[in-house]
Amino acid sequence: MLDGFEILTTSGVVLWSKSYAPVSSSIINGFIKDVFIEEKVLPGASVADDASASQNPTYKKEQYTLKWASVKDLGLIFVAVYQSLLHLTWVDKLLDNIRIIFVDLYRDQLKKPHTSVVECDFDGYFDQQVKELEGAADKNPQRAPQVTVNDLTPPSSSDNGIEGLPPPLPGLAAVSQTGQLKKPHNNGDSTDITPVSTPDTSRPTTPASHILGGKAGPKSRRAKKAMNAPANASSGDERKGKPKKDTGKKMRRWDADGMADDDDGTVLDYSIQSPDEDGMHSPEINAGIDGIDMQSAGTRTGKGQYVLKDLDSEVHSILEGANEKKSQSASSSSGVVGSSLGVISGLFRNVIGGKVLTKEDLAKPMRAMEEHLLKKNVAREAAVRLCEGVERELIGVKTGSFESVETTIRTAMESSLRKILTPTTSLDILRSITAVTSPSNLNPLSPSPRPYVISIVGVNGVGKSTNLSKLAFFLLQNNFSLLIAACDTFRSGAVEQLRVHARNLKELSARESLAKIDLYEKGYGKDAANIAKDAVSYASSNNYDVVLIDTAGRRHNDTRLMSNLEKFANFANPDKILMVGEALVGSDSVAQARSFNSSFGARRGLDGFIISKCDTVGDMVGSLVSMVHATGIPVVFLGVGQHYGDLRTLNVGWAVEMLMK
Amino acid sequence: MAWTSSHSWLASLMAPTPLALTIGVLLVLSIPLFLHFVIYRSTTSTTLPTFLLVGPSGSGKTSLLTLFERGQPATTRTSQTPLTVELSLPLTTPAASSQYRSAADPSTQFHKKFLLADTPGHGKLRHHAFDTIIKPQNLKGIIFMVDAADISTSTSTTGAAGNEALRQTAEYLHDLLLLLQKRANTKTSRAPPDIPVLIAANKLDLFTALPAPLVKSALETEITNVRNSRGKGLLDSGIGMDDIAGGAGEEREWLGEGGEGKFTFGQMEESNVQVSVVGWNVVGAEGPDVQGWWAWVGENL
Repeated sequence: MLDGFEILTTSGVVLWSKSYAPVSSSIINGFIKDVFIEEKVLPGASVADDASASQNPTYKKEQYTLKWASVKDLGLIFVAVYQSLLHLTWVDKLLDNIRIIFVDLYRDQLKKPHTSVVECDFDGYFDQQVKELEGAADKNPQRAPQVTVNDLTPPSSSDNGIEGLPPPLPGLAAVSQTGQLKKPHNNGDSTDITPVSTPDTSRPTTPASHILGGKAGPKSRRAKKAMNAPANASSGDERKGKPKKDTGKKMRRWDADGMADDDDGTVLDYSIQSPDEDGMHSPEINAGIDGIDMQSAGTRTGKGQYVLKDLDSEVHSILEGANEKKSQSASSSSGVVGSSLGVISGLFRNVIGGKVLTKEDLAKPMRAMEEHLLKKNVAREAAVRLCEGVERELIGVKTGSFESVETTIRTAMESSLRKILTPTTSLDILRSITAVTSPSNLNPLSPSPRPYVISIVGVNGVGKSTNLSKLAFFLLQNNFSLLIAACDTFRSGAVEQLRVHARNLKELSARESLAKIDLYEKGYGKDAANIAKDAVSYASSNNYDVVLIDTAGRRHNDTRLMSNLEKFANFANPDKILMVGEALVGSDSVAQARSFNSSFGARRGLDGFIISKCDTVGDMVGSLVSMVHATGIPVVFLGVGQHYGDLRTLNVGWAVEMLMK
Repeated sequence: MAWTSSHSWLASLMAPTPLALTIGVLLVLSIPLFLHFVIYRSTTSTTLPTFLLVGPSGSGKTSLLTLFERGQPATTRTSQTPLTVELSLPLTTPAASSQYRSAADPSTQFHKKFLLADTPGHGKLRHHAFDTIIKPQNLKGIIFMVDAADISTSTSTTGAAGNEALRQTAEYLHDLLLLLQKRANTKTSRAPPDIPVLIAANKLDLFTALPAPLVKSALETEITNVRNSRGKGLLDSGIGMDDIAGGAGEEREWLGEGGEGKFTFGQMEESNVQVSVVGWNVVGAEGPDVQGWWAWVGENL
């Protein structure tokens, strides 16, 4: 069962929503943040217009599954939320249909500028769709096992709560009555119009009810009666309002009587049981069942019938209209006169602007843009995905006045690069260090001071030790006392290299009377994780502010060495794990970033990149984009030279300008 | 000579017939009117006074927007795109621009119209807000929403880095104020119009919320910290890498008086930025209460 359905705009206003069970708003907020803003789920797969909901990636959070569809030009997002336990195959179809209907009905209102209000009375349309699709799904025999799950969950879910039903008897009673509880459950979903009935008639033949019946079998009659009685009582009061439910109620009572007479496993098969039981009532009931079965779309008594019919035809005409339009647009591209006129006006529009972009218009300039990115040393994978994202964003968009397609693509690419490179959270490392080493003493609950641990990882020869010493110099200037832990116990000369750096920095800090800096070394061949752990405890007992851990370089495809990293992350528990990547590296950067990011175990990832050797590549800073794009982790520092002072933070504007030059 | 004959088209065109005179008079009279309606009307509609809504994600910007528009807040989710809405000032709130009108002036009975521009608060999408400030179109004021309940939870036992929400908010506000200061200090022939900033402490209905004066002092302290650590931080990559124009590139700017000592919002007045802090709540048990914000909007309209 659906837990909720929402129609919202990209500007954040919920236009219409329906919830069957309370869903925390953090679920959908998280969905928007991860899928659309940070593009964590599948980068570039954001707002895709023509793709149906089934092509959009499913988003899972906590125990919920979210499916979505979107309309780009109107800025609409349709989200369906349901429990991950269920497999609702019809949700995709529902999303697509609702999208078509909603856009068709309210397009004019949605296009109005300077307002966020959309007057929509959408409940009827939505209920009709849910009913239709759900009915179709329930009839499908393949879906029988899923129906079982569906039926067993209601007692715990809040459907009952919404209906105001008293909770059913716990334990066995609940199980044996599931057959009866189906009724209120299904009614609860469509409160406005006459409810669905099909599930009831189709269920007795499903395996689910057999299982349930079998369970109920061995019990004594009296027990069953006792169990059934409260069910009828509890659902009875609710049933008064709606005419259709009367048949259901009768059926139920028959079921109870039938069970009293015959405690076979097949008691739930009403159609066989009831004629034996009572000749007078049975024809009526059978007629009722047949009627329900035949008119599953829901023509019911009196007023409800009229409303439903009307809505049905309206909805179907809308859906058919949309289909026709689609097929028309597919076929209309042929025709000599039309196409040549189109070409001429297209050329004209390319100059003066106001052209509605299509995939064909974009293909050539997009290829040029991709080439351009590749020349800037962006990895192929990242370049292709970036271009795809921009293309999807631009299809159907009108170019501005006096703006060519190329400029439009350029601006879109610039903003998309900017979005990727801009960090989500602040990267102010000094403030994080201060917060850890000297927490505010005003607050009694704040944790006691401890050293801040930064560890540096990376592939061989990218400049881990060099960047570590640059970072050390920067921190020294800010008067933090440092401990450098030499955890590269593998490569000969690694410890000596750090010793030289430490000596230089010590001299510097002595000259300018800055804080202390020391090297923690344990020689070669030891386990790096243990040394790191010892270094951290040594630092906390000797009042160092920051521990900088240097690690051995490792190829990202060397599984043996990479697996050590997880233990290392657990032992040293660094506040920040920074990966050093070369600006020189090409398409390999994506694989490097990915495998390092995933090597610290499930709970831990990288916190940032240091891109070294930026001074050697000129404006070809593409590996920056590749790495951030692959992982969504921000660039914290850039190494721009040979000196201790040649460390920079990333200026996003500068990087974008370099890339687009 | 065809053109001298009385039936010639040229002659008849130039002859002072009543028809020609009427057409001429009509044209002379109607063109100014026409121009007035076309040009004047269209320009006024584009330059309605605008207020900008900024603030970190989840502070209630879109809620406030819908509240101002509809009278009650709608359900909202994280915004991804900016949204501009045309609003009218309630009659009970006097607008500053009509302070010299008498109470009997019938024009005070009209609603004052203005635009309210909502921006996404997510870290990656703040360029929308900054772009609007850099190129303002009749920008009358900036409303910076703060979640007063969120920044007060400084008693976080888990957060090693102290109060994360307060830090994020202060950093955003710092960037915003720095931008405004830069804007005021640019040397142009015409001084840029003043842009007042309202720090709207939202969610005061919650138990944990800080009252407005405390929000103010918390933000001032935190902005001081931000400024200090920015001062000590590294240069960014845009500076000194290319060394095109004499090495230094653009000079760094400090918020407030040279970046020394404690920052107070009063220091912003030097750059003609008036900062006021008003607290109310958009949603609450006794209904929304945003009279103070309306009053501020009226004062600056």
